[in-house]
Amino acid sequence: MLNISELSFTYGKAGSPWTIKDLSLSVGKNEIVSILGASGCGKSTLLNLIAGLLLAQTGKIELSESDKSKQKIGYIFQHDPLFPWQNVEKNLQLSLKLGKAPSKEWIDKHIEQYFKLFHLDKQVLKKFPQELSGGMRQRVSIIQALLFNPQLLLLDEPFSALDFYTKLCLEDEFFQLVKEQNKAALLVTHDIEEAIAMSDRILIMSKNGSFSNEFILDFATESRLPSTVRSSSKFAQYYGQIWSELKAVIAQ
Amino acid sequence: MKLLFLYPLPLIIFIAIWHFLTVGQPDRQFIFSSPSQVLNTCFSLLKSGELVHQTGVTVFEALCGFIFGTVIGSFLGLSMWYSRTVAKIAKPYITAIATIPIFALAPIIIVWFGIGILSKVMLAFLSTVTVSIVQSYQGAMSVEPRFLRLMKVVGASRWQTFKHVVIPSSLIWVINAMKLSIGLALLGAFIGEFISAEEGLGYMIVKASGLYDMSTVLTGVIALAAIALFLTGIVDQIEKRLLKQ
Repeated sequence: MLNISELSFTYGKAGSPWTIKDLSLSVGKNEIVSILGASGCGKSTLLNLIAGLLLAQTGKIELSESDKSKQKIGYIFQHDPLFPWQNVEKNLQLSLKLGKAPSKEWIDKHIEQYFKLFHLDKQVLKKFPQELSGGMRQRVSIIQALLFNPQLLLLDEPFSALDFYTKLCLEDEFFQLVKEQNKAALLVTHDIEEAIAMSDRILIMSKNGSFSNEFILDFATESRLPSTVRSSSKFAQYYGQIWSELKAVIAQ
Repeated sequence: MKLLFLYPLPLIIFIAIWHFLTVGQPDRQFIFSSPSQVLNTCFSLLKSGELVHQTGVTVFEALCGFIFGTVIGSFLGLSMWYSRTVAKIAKPYITAIATIPIFALAPIIIVWFGIGILSKVMLAFLSTVTVSIVQSYQGAMSVEPRFLRLMKVVGASRWQTFKHVVIPSSLIWVINAMKLSIGLALLGAFIGEFISAEEGLGYMIVKASGLYDMSTVLTGVIALAAIALFLTGIVDQIEKRLLKQ
C-alpha cells in the first residue's frame, strides 16, 4: 500500500540538518502502524510528506493502488478541519462538491453507514460544528475523510484532545473500520497506550529523523479490539519494552 | 424590554435642554434654532416634497457608490489571493489611494465627471472601494491553515479552494468592510454635494447655511443621521442573512 524508501527532508537550505533522514517504511493493507518519538523528531513532518503537503529533497514515496481514480490518502488532524460556516451535512458533502464522490446517493448511503458505526445521531447532520462536543467533531471529521474513500489514513494525534472515555470508544470504532474496509493507517501519537492498543506495528523515531526500533504486536486474540487488549498481560509487557526504548531515544 | 424605554431617553433630555435654552429667545434661536422650529421646517419641507427629493438623491448616490465599491473592492481583494506577486505590487498603490483624503480628490472628480449625480457616486465609490479591497484581501489571507491543508490533501484545485474555503471564510471580513464603508459612502456623496451640486442633502445644507437658515440646516443633518441609521440597518440585515448559523 505505502512504500517509502530512503526519504530525507529538511526545512532549511541545502546543508541544513535533516528533519527526516534516509527513512524507509512500508505499510500494508489492513495494517495499522504507529509512530512514537520525542516532540520535534519529525513524526508530523513525515505525515505531511506522505500527504504531499511538503516535498522531500530525496527518496521516494509510493502509494500502490490499482484503481488510479481512487482517493489515496485521508488525513485526520488533531484539530478537525470542519468548516464553521456550514452544517455537518454540508461539511460531509465536501467530497461530492469536489467531484471526488460518485453521487449524492452514494454519499447519503455512506453517511448513514458511518453514523451507525460511530454511534452518531442523524440530528447531528443539521448542526453546525461549533454546536458539537470535541468527540462528535472528531467523529464527523473522520467520516468526512472516509467519504473521500481513501485507501491510506494518516492520523496525527487524532484523539489527543478528547476525554478518556470518548477516546476509548473512538479507538475501537476506528480500529474496526480499518480492518473491515481493508484500509491502511499510519498513526502518529505521543500516547504509548494508544499506540499499543491500536497498532499491528510500532516504530520508534529517533531525534535524527530515522527509525531506531520496530515492535510487532501480536495479541493473538480472535476479537481483538483496542479496548479489550488493554487488559491483557501482553499489553503491560509491550508497554515496558516500548517505554524503555523510548526513554533511551529521548535521552539521546 | 426595560432597555427599549431607555433608548430615546438621551434624545428626550437633549431636546428638552435645547428647548428650555432657546424658548422665547429670538437671538439664540437665530444661531441654534429650536426644536419646534426644526419640526415646523421638517413638516413644511416634507409637505413640499423637497426633503424627500434631496434625501432620495443622497441615498441613491451613497448606495450606488457603496454597492459598486463593495462588489468591485471585494472581488479585487479576494482575487489577490490568487497571486501574491499581484498583491505585492498592488499593495503600495492601494495604501496610497486609501490614505488620500476624499476632500482632496473631490475637486478632480467633479471636474472629470461634472456636478451631477455621477461625480457623487464616484466619490462614494472611491471612499468605499479601498476599504473593501484591503479588508477582503486580509480576510482571504487569514483563512485558517487547517482548511487549506484539508483542501490540498483531498486534491482540490485552486479554484475549488477559492470557491469553497476562501470566499466563505472571508465573508465576515467583507461584512465588516461593509459596515465601515456605508458611512464612508455617505460621507463621499455628501462631500461631493457640499463642494458642488444642484441637488442632495449636502447642497440643501450649504444653501441654507448661506442664508443662516439654521432650521433647514439641522433638518438636513437629522435627515443624514436617519439615512446613516437606515443604511446601517440594511447592512445589519445582510450580515444576519449571510452569517445565519
